[in-house]
Amino acid sequence: MAAASMSRLSRRASASASAGPFLRRILYSTATASPSPTASSPPLSPAAAAAAGADRVRWDYRGQRQLVPLGQWLPKVAVDAYVAPEAVLAGQVTVHDGASVWSGSVLRGDLNKITLGFCANVQERCVLHAAWSAPTGLPAETLVDRYVTVGAYCLLRSCTIEPECIIGQHSILMEGSLVETNSILEAGSVLAPGRRIPTGELWAGNPARFVRKLTNEEIMEIPKLAVAINDLMQSHFSEFLPYSNAYLEVEKLKESFSYPL
Amino acid sequence: MAKAFYAVGFWIRETGQALDRLGCRLQGNYFFHEQISRHRTLMNIVDKGPHVHREAFVAPSASLTGDVQVGQGSSIWYGCVLRGDANNVQIGSGTNIQDNSVVHVAKSNLSGKVFPTIIGDNVTVGHSAVLQGCTVEDEAFVGMGATLLDGVVVEKHGMVAAGALVRQNTRIPCGEVWGGNPAKFLRKLTDEEIAFIAESAAKYSSLAKEHAAENAKPLESIDFMKVLRKKFAHQDEEDDSMLGVTREASPELAPSSATPAQ
Repeated sequence: MAAASMSRLSRRASASASAGPFLRRILYSTATASPSPTASSPPLSPAAAAAAGADRVRWDYRGQRQLVPLGQWLPKVAVDAYVAPEAVLAGQVTVHDGASVWSGSVLRGDLNKITLGFCANVQERCVLHAAWSAPTGLPAETLVDRYVTVGAYCLLRSCTIEPECIIGQHSILMEGSLVETNSILEAGSVLAPGRRIPTGELWAGNPARFVRKLTNEEIMEIPKLAVAINDLMQSHFSEFLPYSNAYLEVEKLKESFSYPL
Repeated sequence: MAKAFYAVGFWIRETGQALDRLGCRLQGNYFFHEQISRHRTLMNIVDKGPHVHREAFVAPSASLTGDVQVGQGSSIWYGCVLRGDANNVQIGSGTNIQDNSVVHVAKSNLSGKVFPTIIGDNVTVGHSAVLQGCTVEDEAFVGMGATLLDGVVVEKHGMVAAGALVRQNTRIPCGEVWGGNPAKFLRKLTDEEIAFIAESAAKYSSLAKEHAAENAKPLESIDFMKVLRKKFAHQDEEDDSMLGVTREASPELAPSSATPAQ
């Protein structure tokens, strides 16, 4: 009740613009300090909102940074690995040679390590994250080993994928899951926490279940797919210049604002 | 002397720009002109603007559009889309909406009712979840890749398992886990698990603070850190301990309290 009246007051204050931003901020912060601000407080006026949110969310011409260092951890990307400009790598992330991270993926190694091996690829809008601890008691880092293909929209959290696997599109791998060499997880499947897929098997479904053994021919195809995507990556990689020339645009803007260069 | 260097630098840059233009012309129709990013983290729709608390973290690549309210200590992670164009989206305090999630409100649906999306306090919404016109009460948990359709209510301490699809107008009662496609009752939550939900939300908001600090850095300090890193690049803790050397680490590069060193 008190919160509601306070926020109404603050609204009126901002509408009349008689109260300074300081007073408005105080009124605003008391309104949100109530136990459930969303339920009780009516939407504030844009002016008050702008005053409150001005110092945190800023527009930046560079947009999102591709590599976000956290503390002493800086994401490491090999020279010939491709990381799309829209991808976000934060914290302890290592991308080895020939690996590719496609647009919209988020690799967030803020609690634990994330490693992408040689020729591995993480496709569009994937999220790789590592939890602080895994239920299996093994190290909770996310490891995607060499020649692994992780399809679009996959979610990997603290899981280990051994060399030469395929993770289908839109599949979810939860904490502590393990995919052994030469196995395939079909698209859209959900691998429960601590589950293990033995070598040379095909699993599918929500939750994922054993379907069949893979034939030798199929196993031979797995690294070929990763290499094919690696080839595709080269053409994307060459399209991006080593340095962005967006600075020209910024200089133009600065000139138009008569801002000192 | 400095002026001469400046002049030479200017020539080189001018030549570079001329070369760039020449290269673009040679590429003909295929050339791509790179412009500065036009992405807006907060965008209003006519008179409805997002309202974010000062102590909330919104990743630069997230997109909050229209009537969206974000409470104190909440975090909206990389690549999220919160779209309050048809109705409003309310997010309480201490809530985290993880990477690539989409929170949206329906303009109209089959039953003709329009719901706002209300997410309570200390809620964890996993990666790539899709929430459309639903209500999630305090300390609930929505797993990775879950989809909540119109009119879904997740009660306090409710849990939606990873990859679940919760159909229209479903109510997930307090302390239950629902999963599958369509979502069905799986089991009851234990007390420890309920405690864990609140704990993980608290952990996330401290983690968000660190990301917020890093993402709010201006260009100068980023460059400064780059130089600092280069200077201390040769240092390796394991190597040093083997050699029996102790080095002073730079205070700026020291691990912070939110993510303890291993």
